[in-house]
Amino acid sequence: MTTGDAAPMLAATDVVGGYGKVQILNGVTLRVPRGQIAALLGGNGTGKSTMLKALSGLIKPWSGSIVFDGDRIDGMRPDLIVRRGLVQVTQGKEAYPAMTVEENLLLGAHVKPDRATRARGLERSYGYFPILKERRRQLTGTLSGGQLQMLCIARGLMSEPKMMLLDEPSAALAPQVVLDIFRAIGRICGDGMTLLLVEQNVRMALLLAEYGYVIKDGVIHIEGPAAQMIDDDAVRMSYLGGTVADRDQKMAL
Amino acid sequence: MSYFIDLVIVGLSLGMVYALVAIGISLIYSGLDVVHFAHGEIYMLGAFIGLIIHNVFKLPFPLVLIGSMVVTGLIGVVIERVFYRRILRGGGGYTVAGMAMVICGFGMSIVLQNVAFLIFGARALPFPVTFGMPIELGNVTLPASYAWIVIAAIVLMLSLHLFLTKTRLGLAVRAVAGNKEIAYLMGINVPLAISVIFGVACALGAAAGVLVGPINYVQVQMGVGVLIKAFAAAVVGGFGSLPGAVLGGLLVGVTESLGAGYLSGSYKDIYAFILMIIVLMVRPAGLLGVISKVKA
Repeated sequence: MTTGDAAPMLAATDVVGGYGKVQILNGVTLRVPRGQIAALLGGNGTGKSTMLKALSGLIKPWSGSIVFDGDRIDGMRPDLIVRRGLVQVTQGKEAYPAMTVEENLLLGAHVKPDRATRARGLERSYGYFPILKERRRQLTGTLSGGQLQMLCIARGLMSEPKMMLLDEPSAALAPQVVLDIFRAIGRICGDGMTLLLVEQNVRMALLLAEYGYVIKDGVIHIEGPAAQMIDDDAVRMSYLGGTVADRDQKMAL
Repeated sequence: MSYFIDLVIVGLSLGMVYALVAIGISLIYSGLDVVHFAHGEIYMLGAFIGLIIHNVFKLPFPLVLIGSMVVTGLIGVVIERVFYRRILRGGGGYTVAGMAMVICGFGMSIVLQNVAFLIFGARALPFPVTFGMPIELGNVTLPASYAWIVIAAIVLMLSLHLFLTKTRLGLAVRAVAGNKEIAYLMGINVPLAISVIFGVACALGAAAGVLVGPINYVQVQMGVGVLIKAFAAAVVGGFGSLPGAVLGGLLVGVTESLGAGYLSGSYKDIYAFILMIIVLMVRPAGLLGVISKVKA
């Protein structure tokens, strides 16, 4: 990791939490350096989405700390976290279908009432995704899966955040479309954005990210530079989940 | 023929009143997932507050209307913050699963009625507003108060439409009504937006009460009948849909007026429900409702 000296943009330490009495996160620690992409990998039911909710404020962690850009944000209300510049990009299916494309984008700029900022945000979004400009007056429900994902990423950019949390941008998309989306994510990072990529698509995520974390049973199971992890069989096994067959296979390796 | 047109016009103006109350019920339902059974009492409170403003300050009618909307809207916000929000939180968030909210609405309805009874008494009070000469349209003569209802209701509905589609706060309100978690992730202050929704819904209910006041008496139980009709209107149009609430309100008003005029006036409260049952048999989601929008 090249970031030992500078303070990271996001640092979560020993985050424990869950829903009601059910504990899902058993002490997650991860950090994302400024201007880089980190990947949080894991299958279904590993705590990946719960960790995302803790970071964006939708659930309050029971213990541990989350520091964003130098300030504690754990337990803070989600809209205040957005105001500080940490935005979660939802999955494509979570765009508002009954609103037009442009209304969805403007919703992303809710924390920026000023007209010039909103116009600039629209320009920037249409710059990354020209198709959205063509479709801007259409109802969001008429978009394709890939376009919906583009819309959600663009919506995240609208508040001019310092960092974005991407919730499975490759979910339910065709491989060619995933490639387009990931190229755009790469460009956004190249323009100075810090990103945490939460993904099931391990290979694509590790190709794009600098550093990877694999979460399993609510703790970080494996971590390391993406370039090393991509060839690591343990990553693949761990990601595939904890079935007996996998475990046996892993023993054999 | 002119009798028919008379009945339709009376039905439409009555329908506008139902529509205003039904819009409030639909707004609260889509915003808070609460079926607000106390909305008839909000309508009643609005009428009384309008009457007080009229009698004490001797203001012109439009100002009475706006004044009552503001005051009742604020009362609504207080009711939501102090009472409903605690119950919502008990249910673990802003979406209620279970019957608590339905029962709470009924309870609030009884409490508000009795509070009003203590303050205003059981007498029916006149709302003495003079609107001037009746309006002549061809061979139909229309009391000016009916024209007032229609015009004021249309202005209010258009304002609501512009607020929801053209303003930043309106867009946020629609987002909260659609999905609260995602609205939070957009940086929207969801609790504040919910207060706005409740306040606007109560202000519209109050407007309906003030508009009806001059053609009816103002009394403590006036909300009960209107609430049931407004529910029928919301169901006919499709629960949760605002255009549906307007369409349903007008249909209920016209059906009631025609039924009372041609069949029998003593059964006038039945026609709205016959209409509702027929619509539900043909289109269970209501005329403009979307079946997929099932709330938890």
